[in-house]
Amino acid sequence: MPKNKTVFEECDVLVVGGGMAGTGATFEARHWGRDLKIICVEKANIDRSGAVAQGLYAINCYMGMQWGENQPEDHVRYARNDLMGLVREDLGYDMARHVDSTVHMFDEWGLPMMKNKETGRYQREGKWQIMIHGESYKPIVAEAAKKSADKIYNRIMITHLLKDESKQNRIAGAVGFNMRTGDYHVFKAKTVIVAAGGASHIFKPRAVGEGMGRTWYAPWSNGSAYALPIAAGAKMTQMENRIVLCRFKDGYGPVGAYFLHLKTYTQNANGENYEKKWYEATKKLVGEYIDHHPVPTCLRNHAFIQEVAAGGGPIHMVTKEAFQDPHLETVGWENFLGMTVGQAVVWASQNIDPKYTNPELTTSEPYVMGSHATCSGAWVSGPEDIAPSEYFWGYNRMTTIEGLFGAGDTVGGSAHKFSSGSFTEGRLAAKAAVKYIQDKKANGIEVTDKQYNNLKEVIYKPMENYTVGRNEITGGTVSPSYISPIQGLQRLQKIMDEYCGGITNNYMTNDNLLKKGLEQLGLLQEDLENVGAEDYHQLMRAWELKHRALTSQCVTEHTLFREETRWPGYYYRGDHMKLDDDNWHCLTTSERNPETGKFSMEKQPVYHIVDEKDKKKAS
Amino acid sequence: MSTFVYMTRCDGCGHCVDICPSDIMHIDETIRRAKNIEPNFCWECYSCVKACPNHAIDVRGYADFAPMGHSVRVRREEEKGTISWRIKFRNGTEKNFVSPITTKPWGKFIPKLAEKDKPNQGEINSQILYNEPHGLNTDKDLPTLNKDSFKKGVYY
Amino acid sequence: MNILSSNPFSILAETVPPVAMQAFVFLMLAFVVFGTLLDIIHKKNVKYFFNNAKKAKKFATRELSSGEKFAIVSKTVAYDIGTTSELGAGKRRIAHLLGMYGTILFWVGSVVMVFCYSSVDAETPRLWPMIWHAGALMTVLGGSWFWFFLRVDVYSEAQPWYRIIKADLFVLALIATSLTGLIWSYLQNLELGDRWDDKVFLVLFVISNFVLFGGVYWSKFAHMFYKPGAAIQKNLAEADGSRDNLPPPADAPEQFGLGIKREAPKHY
Repeated sequence: MPKNKTVFEECDVLVVGGGMAGTGATFEARHWGRDLKIICVEKANIDRSGAVAQGLYAINCYMGMQWGENQPEDHVRYARNDLMGLVREDLGYDMARHVDSTVHMFDEWGLPMMKNKETGRYQREGKWQIMIHGESYKPIVAEAAKKSADKIYNRIMITHLLKDESKQNRIAGAVGFNMRTGDYHVFKAKTVIVAAGGASHIFKPRAVGEGMGRTWYAPWSNGSAYALPIAAGAKMTQMENRIVLCRFKDGYGPVGAYFLHLKTYTQNANGENYEKKWYEATKKLVGEYIDHHPVPTCLRNHAFIQEVAAGGGPIHMVTKEAFQDPHLETVGWENFLGMTVGQAVVWASQNIDPKYTNPELTTSEPYVMGSHATCSGAWVSGPEDIAPSEYFWGYNRMTTIEGLFGAGDTVGGSAHKFSSGSFTEGRLAAKAAVKYIQDKKANGIEVTDKQYNNLKEVIYKPMENYTVGRNEITGGTVSPSYISPIQGLQRLQKIMDEYCGGITNNYMTNDNLLKKGLEQLGLLQEDLENVGAEDYHQLMRAWELKHRALTSQCVTEHTLFREETRWPGYYYRGDHMKLDDDNWHCLTTSERNPETGKFSMEKQPVYHIVDEKDKKKAS
Repeated sequence: MSTFVYMTRCDGCGHCVDICPSDIMHIDETIRRAKNIEPNFCWECYSCVKACPNHAIDVRGYADFAPMGHSVRVRREEEKGTISWRIKFRNGTEKNFVSPITTKPWGKFIPKLAEKDKPNQGEINSQILYNEPHGLNTDKDLPTLNKDSFKKGVYY
Repeated sequence: MNILSSNPFSILAETVPPVAMQAFVFLMLAFVVFGTLLDIIHKKNVKYFFNNAKKAKKFATRELSSGEKFAIVSKTVAYDIGTTSELGAGKRRIAHLLGMYGTILFWVGSVVMVFCYSSVDAETPRLWPMIWHAGALMTVLGGSWFWFFLRVDVYSEAQPWYRIIKADLFVLALIATSLTGLIWSYLQNLELGDRWDDKVFLVLFVISNFVLFGGVYWSKFAHMFYKPGAAIQKNLAEADGSRDNLPPPADAPEQFGLGIKREAPKHY
């Protein structure tokens, strides 16, 4: 194997990931740091990378302050309610107060926004959502990033962050490899904004053959958003808060426009509205949370799961009425074509025309991410003007590692951001990162070649494992001395599925299962030293697996730590089948010791925005 | 699922290799044309299908759950700012849709921030982002809250 | 410039009988026919092609008259095939055109000179050797440009230029025949007598022709026949509305310029 060339780059702001959050950060950084060197590193090609590759049909986070439609506090209360009380309200308010300016920019840039014919305003799909023709959403925002950046690196996977050797707990950059040329890339940076993808494929999916590819969240979201800060020792929060989605069967096509715009509704196989049946039982589990409006996402899932387990399935979306209207029929199909083409493919293949058939729904396997109806991620500082003291340590969106910022899926506690909110969060992180540099906090960073030379060996080891180990066998995929990335992935998925609340057990887990799961994950981590990669593409898959495995360990530790069932419908703690506000109305955080690999867990207080009339006080 | 490439149409231009977010479109060594090397990591995002100048790439729904005989094909026309879809069911039902993909010439109204006015120190020290508070369209300042409005504890 | 107008085959006729050269040409032709037929029979690709065309016809929205079909076929031959329009605007198309027309000139020039002007005392009109040499030169230029810079596995996948794969058999053999032919012609003209390199490139020229024409079953040679067929089928399908299940072009003005497609497929 020829020796891989090392390419060095030095910059001021390094944005890891060129998705919605990464493009937002890259774009905004130029405004505040005119003379700074701004680099964005993307694993794929920034024009179509990330979760928005195929486009979006709605922007799910827009206040509409200009028309008095919503105020930021309203969104905070909405997100708080949906997450059963546990969000970072300072981060949520901060994102919500800025998101409108982001959306207005998208409009100026050429993103087609649907308009309400009567009012002339953006066409609302629901209280927070507006409808767009967003097939080219990603190329448009990618161009904004390209215009701001000094350079965009494509096809480079960042595998590790670099730490400063002169000052404890400070970031110094990142390293990775180019999956085309095989070159080793060392980025020395004064600040790093991690804006990588959340975690799909850490639980066994419902389709395990070719269909593995049809995950709800992109299959290339391999949890780098978590693994990079976790490995560097940053504090993480709410990693137990995985999300399960109720979507159209097999294709996981979106239901938002159906519920909100087409006004369709669900029913069980006998034509009954089943949700009411589960009200009493759910109330016993979670108390008054079931009476909130709108009903929290997880509780709606819960009713669905219970109904299916009780034999009421398959559950359908009643579309026959709505689809008689040709306008609504068009919206129903274009909703998929602009966002999840795979669902249109599924219906075409199975002859499902919603005008004549009510299509099936399903609940997905769990995902861990930070920008949807869930908020796993890094524990970051909030904005100076509003964050309570426990939530602020100098710079907005900075993790507990100096100079390491997060945006998008990476940031924990700020839920319901979606695409526009993630882009906005990128902008916030960028401004703060520039300020950090201007405050001279990044002076005197030292990285010796020992650090990145050691990492180089670690990074390319899977290729060494394969080349050497391959000599042992005649051929085929079975080797006693190395495992392929797909073999490792399927093992990881099975462990998480069976022990950490996957679909096999109807999202149920308990402390015994979780402890066993941690043991199995520990064995897997050891075996990951022996992943074998045949070429650079497989090397990328190997590192995706390693990031997923580390994320999974963190998720399992958090799930074990929180001794209650806070989000029935996302997962259940069989040994604590109740929501416990007395002991667990708090956020969970963890820190992994980079030397020992041990996780230490903590509780963090939750602060709520309260108006003059408080509704209920408990602790 | 996944994507597959028509032998008669592919001429080995590399656009699909370049764009695929999953890095699964690569060049076959026998015929120097594109193919999908890892269908189980294909999201059916259609990025490659749209990027192909010869419409050489098509999609066959995931074998796990999609019966055969369907077709969902697309024509993305950047100069017209349109995307056109033709859906054919296994039973022959056909649906066609055309949508806009941009309202402005590509890139023309996306600013190069390096050329815009520099922010002053007040703006740097404040909470506003680029193009704010003007870009909020509210004729008001950026909303903020009193730190006292945050209370620790259980509140609904 | 002497070299460009001297017929290498008539010089060769001093040692090799013209009838042997002509037999060689027939042998190469036989290789092509045999290799292509073997490919067709073994892979059943022509059967697939016609089955597919029949299936597509079911989705035609209109019937094409024989006049329309003739016009479409002619336009396809003249434009799609004649200008390699499939490759769009840019270097790949230019390199392909250089190589394609270079090869055509080279082969036509070879056949004409071998069959009409291959005796020792032949009076070859200057045109034919010039066409022969020009064709070979164009093929070497177009082919090498493609080989070093434009192959998609090199350009978009960052493979090194010296990596050889099965798909390279055709283009390498083509460059080899033209390059060795040129060098042979040049050295032959110098009348080196019994010097060691007098016959080497002739031998290499013969071998590379064997590889090029003998390798038809394993290389992309036969695609030269399949691709034009595919282009004709595609244009007919566009005209009769079946369009390979693609939606029709949108009825909208071209006003927005290019977006992602502005850039070349190399972003690493």
